[in-house]
Amino acid sequence: MANVADTAPVPGESRTASTATRMREMLSATEVDVRLFGMLVALAAILIGFQLLDSGFFSPGNMVTLAVQAIPVAILATGMVLVIVSRNIDLSVGSLTGIIAMTYAMLMTDWLPNILGLGVDFPFRWLIALVIGIAVGATFGAVQGFIIAYIGVPSFVVTLGGLLSIRGAIWYFSNGAAVTRLDPTFQLIGGGARGSIGELLTWGIGLLGCAFVIFALWNGRRQRRRFGFPLRPMWAEVTIGVLGCAAMLGLAAFANGNYLPAGLATQYAQERGIVEPPGGLKVPAGFPLPVILLIAVTVVMTWIATRRRFGRYVYAYGGNPDAAELAGINTRRTILLTFVIMGILAALSAAVVAARLNGATLDIGNSYELYVIAAAVVGGTSFAGGIGTIPGAVLGAFVMQALSYGLSFIGVNSPGQNVVAGIVLILAVAFDTWNRRRAAR
Amino acid sequence: MVIRRLAALLAVLAVVLAACGGTGTASGSASEPASSGGGGGTTDCTVAVSWNNFQQPRWAAADEPNIKQVVEDAGGTYISADADLSSEQQLTDVSNLIGQGADVLILLAQDQNAVLPALQEAKDAGIPVIAYDRLIEDPDILYITFNNVGVGEAQAAAVLEAVPEGNYVLIKGDPGDPNASTFLPQGWDDAGLKEKVDAGDITILNGPEGGSGEWPADYGTYTDAWDTQTAQENMEAIIDAANADDVTIDAILAENDSTALGVVAALEAKSYGYPPLSGQDGDPANLNNVALGKQYVDVWKNANELGKAAGQAAIQMCQGTAMADVSIDIESSVAPTDGNSPTDFETPGGNTVKSLILQPTPLTAEDLDVVLSAGWYAGKDEICAGVTESDPGWDDCQ
Repeated sequence: MANVADTAPVPGESRTASTATRMREMLSATEVDVRLFGMLVALAAILIGFQLLDSGFFSPGNMVTLAVQAIPVAILATGMVLVIVSRNIDLSVGSLTGIIAMTYAMLMTDWLPNILGLGVDFPFRWLIALVIGIAVGATFGAVQGFIIAYIGVPSFVVTLGGLLSIRGAIWYFSNGAAVTRLDPTFQLIGGGARGSIGELLTWGIGLLGCAFVIFALWNGRRQRRRFGFPLRPMWAEVTIGVLGCAAMLGLAAFANGNYLPAGLATQYAQERGIVEPPGGLKVPAGFPLPVILLIAVTVVMTWIATRRRFGRYVYAYGGNPDAAELAGINTRRTILLTFVIMGILAALSAAVVAARLNGATLDIGNSYELYVIAAAVVGGTSFAGGIGTIPGAVLGAFVMQALSYGLSFIGVNSPGQNVVAGIVLILAVAFDTWNRRRAAR
Repeated sequence: MVIRRLAALLAVLAVVLAACGGTGTASGSASEPASSGGGGGTTDCTVAVSWNNFQQPRWAAADEPNIKQVVEDAGGTYISADADLSSEQQLTDVSNLIGQGADVLILLAQDQNAVLPALQEAKDAGIPVIAYDRLIEDPDILYITFNNVGVGEAQAAAVLEAVPEGNYVLIKGDPGDPNASTFLPQGWDDAGLKEKVDAGDITILNGPEGGSGEWPADYGTYTDAWDTQTAQENMEAIIDAANADDVTIDAILAENDSTALGVVAALEAKSYGYPPLSGQDGDPANLNNVALGKQYVDVWKNANELGKAAGQAAIQMCQGTAMADVSIDIESSVAPTDGNSPTDFETPGGNTVKSLILQPTPLTAEDLDVVLSAGWYAGKDEICAGVTESDPGWDDCQ
């Protein structure tokens, strides 16, 4: 946020400016990240566009589906930002997601009960599986990261090798057959009608988000005053606070507009001894669990990237590798860690995919590497290194999935979806390049 | 220091591994040619199979062991290669197999046109070719397959009987596969789908915008590469669209099992219940879904018998039997309706080929005993996993 401060206009110059310039100045006084704001506008435009094409499109239930579909790629994109920022690439994320998803499925159907003797009734099987999956992901990431950072093989080559060999290895788990029937608790990670947190918790999270926005604004102002930095005008602080708070509560209210399906609602009513009103009981489902997971991942990853020494090292290295090395940063360890993080995120993403599918097939995660890189790039990550934000990449994933879900909602087949996705990818980056060049002039 | 030494060690290991891989391929391609030409006794007959992939479980689990067993029981030698879904690799594979002394070639084509150079090479070497499961456009082949139009017919017949009128969703496979775009929908029409749509008994929910499109090409949703996740996401969007329009989905025709698996996952995620759903292949997870009542019918192609038929034909041709005089002996419920010897088949490309076309078996929860007793690679532990007394497959799983 602070890096936008130096672009604030010098007061007194704007007397003769046109309305457009004045708007731009007001926007820059609020110090809102223009790129991120632009992405939000683009996402809104896409959603409104589909709503115009089909009036049933923009409903809470549909938006929840869209969000859950975007999550596996969004989770991976948060890690891909760090990898690309440090001038590397990870092509193996799709295969890694696939092999970990298959690991979860095999653990729960075969290995846990038959090898370790942990039957269906054993408590916390989902957690055991998740921990093993994360360990597998971290190990694969560490091995690839080691070869890249310490041996010096280009990441493109190493992870291309990973893409091929890991994808091939998945076959040996089940000889190509789909493995289904996961632990019922594990399935909740995938969301669905049962895997949502309910009305009260959803409001709780909305309020928490609202409180966080206000705290962040207050804390930022305090710190700036402490170090003698220029302060944001008070009207800007208030506007951001009110809008941010309203957005958080609005999202919670919107998610609570997503009701449990009729069958589950009846079951819910029976369990609680409620008499169903005519037309069925409306039970708000709230945020699905994978959305909570994504929020947690985004917050933690943003914190790592912007507030932790490791994160700053990543950006320093990406901006200028030689300078970073000369400044005494352990660049090799930093690079290795980005790949370990990528592996851990692959385990989380795989958990969502496998839970949603209630199993694993051979083709899980196929071409994810491309969607993930596309999400990061649409979200403003630069291949030149040093530039990219995690919320941007998450928004990028939502923009791409909004297109694909919307097209599929109005009945366009997958080849058509791919055509549109490809064009949008190029347009997004072209616009960004043009915008940056204009800003540099 | 330690790390640098470790790195050096890893590098050495990599080089050694690479060298091993190199010699491995070299020795593979340099194997000497065995006896060639037709005729000859059974003992030195070499039957070569070029598989297009082992990604789908059935080829390695059902087709291959049966061909191999028939060939080896007759005293022949079985050799094979797997092209891993690459047309280019398949050309190399066929050359290698011919080089290794194949007397008969069984060819599961990755692409019916791209494989033609390989076919020519086999014909030049005087080796008879069996087009296995997938058609190759050439008059000199023996085409052994299941009736793919019949698969579609069996799917639609079962679902139409369960749901004679209402709202249907069509989930199709890869748009580049003629099975997905032509043969299976043709079978659906043979079972009466088109008539019912025209009569207004059945509405296709995922039809073209505005309802004016070409039948059947513009109706239904295609699934790139028959991918399960893609089918799941498409189905979720279709359910959302149906809910938005306030219509219910009464039945779903899915062309194969990987797409049907995605459909079930979508229904589960939405707690939609399980309207009658079709599939094809007899994959373990789908047969389990049939037993659990989540998939209504799975049209099973008993690939064990297909493998036996191909193995028998190959051995007979190896012994000098003319292609037209081959006679197979397999399980009667799947045997060709036109008898056990090849009949003429008009291909879409205008060729007339000798063909053995086996019959598919539709399996609902009541027929699971058929597959349970057939020695299918999906065992009872997989098919009946988690089946309880209230599930439709309970009786057969006892």
